[in-house]
Amino acid sequence: MNVTAYISSLPEVPGIVFSTVGAVLIFIIAIFLGKGLTIYLQRSLKDKIDKGHLDILLKAGYYGLITLVIVAFIFPLIGIDRSGLLVTGGVLGIVIGFASQSIVGNLISGFFLVVERPIKIGDQINIDSNTGFVEDINIFSTIIRTYDGLYMRIPNQTVFTSNITNYVANVTRRFEYIVGIRYSDDADEAIRIIRGIIDNEPFALENPSPSIFVDTLGDNSVNIVVRIWAPISEWFEMKTRLLWVIKKTLEEHGIEIPFPQRTVWFSGEGQTGKLSGKENNYLPKAENDGLPALQEGTR
Amino acid sequence: MFDKYTPPFTLNYKGHEISVEKEQGNLIYRRTCEYETIEKILLEADGDFLINPIEPVNLPKPITSFLLIDFERPVMISPGSKQKIYLTFPVEMGIFITGKKGEHELIDILTLNMSKYTLYGNPNRGMICRYWKSEIFISYPNLDTRYEGDIELDIINDTNHWMEVKKSVFNAFGMKIYYGTDRTSMRAFMRIINRHLAETGFMTYTTTPEFRRSMEVYTARKIMLSSIKGIMEHGI
Repeated sequence: MNVTAYISSLPEVPGIVFSTVGAVLIFIIAIFLGKGLTIYLQRSLKDKIDKGHLDILLKAGYYGLITLVIVAFIFPLIGIDRSGLLVTGGVLGIVIGFASQSIVGNLISGFFLVVERPIKIGDQINIDSNTGFVEDINIFSTIIRTYDGLYMRIPNQTVFTSNITNYVANVTRRFEYIVGIRYSDDADEAIRIIRGIIDNEPFALENPSPSIFVDTLGDNSVNIVVRIWAPISEWFEMKTRLLWVIKKTLEEHGIEIPFPQRTVWFSGEGQTGKLSGKENNYLPKAENDGLPALQEGTR
Repeated sequence: MFDKYTPPFTLNYKGHEISVEKEQGNLIYRRTCEYETIEKILLEADGDFLINPIEPVNLPKPITSFLLIDFERPVMISPGSKQKIYLTFPVEMGIFITGKKGEHELIDILTLNMSKYTLYGNPNRGMICRYWKSEIFISYPNLDTRYEGDIELDIINDTNHWMEVKKSVFNAFGMKIYYGTDRTSMRAFMRIINRHLAETGFMTYTTTPEFRRSMEVYTARKIMLSSIKGIMEHGI
């Protein structure tokens, strides 16, 4: 008996068997593909997403792929008509899409936040005028603890579309004081004293070097600008402390911070001029000392 | 000064008074100076106190593990050569309590130098370093070990050009500090790879009873490290 005759003599296998075997094989392949996808995502995202969120993403990827394979390949193989499913799915998709527009927006924004990483947990940030520490970055929202200690949940879509200021993204930052001194004081001496204070401050960085200079000749004072670079972890403590140290040290050296002052001129009776010496005594000493001399022509 | 002390004892050290007293089975550690007083109670403690130099990156508080030494004068080194110079570094003293089984714990840090920090690199990608300005010495300098130690630095120029070196950045993880009666030293190398890139690291000395290795803080804390070398990628 030849081969052709042998095959002809075999009992006919029903088509359903082939379909079933094919469906099982495709299902097994889908499982393997899903596992492969899971491993790939795990390796590429393990440093970018925390474990809890990564697990959710991996499960979504795994079951999503299997569902796609079932609908795309196994349903036609075992004779399930997808057209009805597609219509139903389409209508359902539109309904769900409208209903979950913001949810999906937040989800996608959360994904891009994770990829772009403009903020990290523990950072001090300002989002849409909300400032504080980043406590958590979830799939749909970002949690902030404000400086007042309040819990604040900001949707990721807001986070992603707002201007974000990350106060601790860089290792250093600069802060500034404006120190006003009297016109009668020696600005060079004041600068030397301030520089000495900064030089003795461990966390006032050597490089970038601080800059101290006379910036403006103001209405009431000579304004000295003091700019200091500090490590990001130390700047705030130093900023809140150093200004008072500068003020006290300048005063110890006879350099005072002047009060705002105004020269009042009286018109009428043909007598206009500077306040008399008696009236001047009511003014604080610092104001008198800081007054520029009146010009003769204005009397 | 750098030695092991058995309580009770009192040390006077350039305006700092360090004392340890026994009190009902406890030890009272006290350090006073012009601007601060530190007092700690060591409960049921029984051990000696070790004072030795530690990595100079801890005061006023540890915010970095890098020490940048700024050279008073730049050093030029010829292509392919290896030259030895001596630098100074600021001394910080660690006060440890040591147990009978050899376990030890840092309880205080002291320095007579002013601390200053700097940025190496740029504000977004640079790193904060403890800053120290050092004169360059061709031979071993005689230093006041209460203030300064010396670094015996081998500069290796692996390039084909003359190189000008103005600073050196060292990683405290990996520092090996040695001390004797009149010397506090480290031995290091700086390998120049190009004008903007160099690598620094530390080497060992042969120890003797008179020249011992310090108890180091950063290795004592058993921190897992990715690197103990200093990578200078923002210029030399």
